[in-house]
Amino acid sequence: MSKTRTDVFKSPDALPEPVREALAAMLLSLADNKRVLGMRYGEWILGAPTLEAGIACSAMAQDEWGHARILYATLKDFEFEPTVLEHERPADEYLNSELLDDPATEWPDLLALNLLLDSALSVQVEAMTESSYEPILFKTRKLLEEERFHFEHGRGWAMRLGDMGAGRAALEAAFRKAIGPCLRWFGRPDSGFGRQLVDAGVVNADADELRRRWLERITPVLAEAGLELPETEGKAALEWEGWNADRRRAAEGALDEETLARVRGDRNRSMLMD
Amino acid sequence: MGHLSGERLYEIFARQKREDRLEHIGTVSAPNPELARVYAWKTYDEASWFEMVVAPRDSFRAVNRDELPFTLHPAETA
Repeated sequence: MSKTRTDVFKSPDALPEPVREALAAMLLSLADNKRVLGMRYGEWILGAPTLEAGIACSAMAQDEWGHARILYATLKDFEFEPTVLEHERPADEYLNSELLDDPATEWPDLLALNLLLDSALSVQVEAMTESSYEPILFKTRKLLEEERFHFEHGRGWAMRLGDMGAGRAALEAAFRKAIGPCLRWFGRPDSGFGRQLVDAGVVNADADELRRRWLERITPVLAEAGLELPETEGKAALEWEGWNADRRRAAEGALDEETLARVRGDRNRSMLMD
Repeated sequence: MGHLSGERLYEIFARQKREDRLEHIGTVSAPNPELARVYAWKTYDEASWFEMVVAPRDSFRAVNRDELPFTLHPAETA
């Protein structure tokens, strides 16, 4: 496909079909991850280590749900029905990371979602700040502005726990589990999926470059916090066995029924006016 | 305000417009300046601030009174 800097796509119809499909899949993955991540933040509004941390979780939950809402709405242009996307899909159609399947049971687990997964999503969004797909341009700014504080929250807590022996060990354990799924989430190095988007100028980085940017963002924080995570060093071999490119995850499984019911708003369905 | 060991109180100042003066708008407890910034921004989000800054309470020096700064509320000073 020919590509010039002047190529601008004003609607999904203007995109070549494979690019349109790849972009829709990426936006849906971002939306679903943010929808469920908001739920995981929300579960810590009560029970966070301090009142301030609880307020921060509440704010981050609201931010994520706002971002998800914006992203689901953009999918309307791709002929998805936002109501169906938000309220009517079964668990295995949610494109959430395996890290979000279960609630973060301990605070370090939430920090892994906060510092690692949330940043991975932001790195992907940042790759669209100069996108050739015009409708997304106006959405990225507010979203990334809010995300700066999510990153800073994760960073501040990593530094805090890094100062405490037990905290540091717990954080290392939680981060160790999360690094692989985050690195893989950007997709296989050879995926046509990512390539299509780069060639069309919709994103400015392929999976390997996104991985590099993500590592560049988080490794200074890990160092600041004194965490030792060899998984982030060099070109750690990524396991691709069982990789599901659509769901961007290797692990089977899905959201549990209770979380799904809350994500979809099942219990309040009768309250919907239309 | 009770706070955890390893935490400090941070005072928050903000203004809504460039031409406004910075006003003291509140306090947060945080283990480091990074989290103090996040907590301040997320807790005191009632306005779209032009500028917000934080400083540790213990960095302030009383000038004309013996009490520690920020411990006297307006009603008590009457």
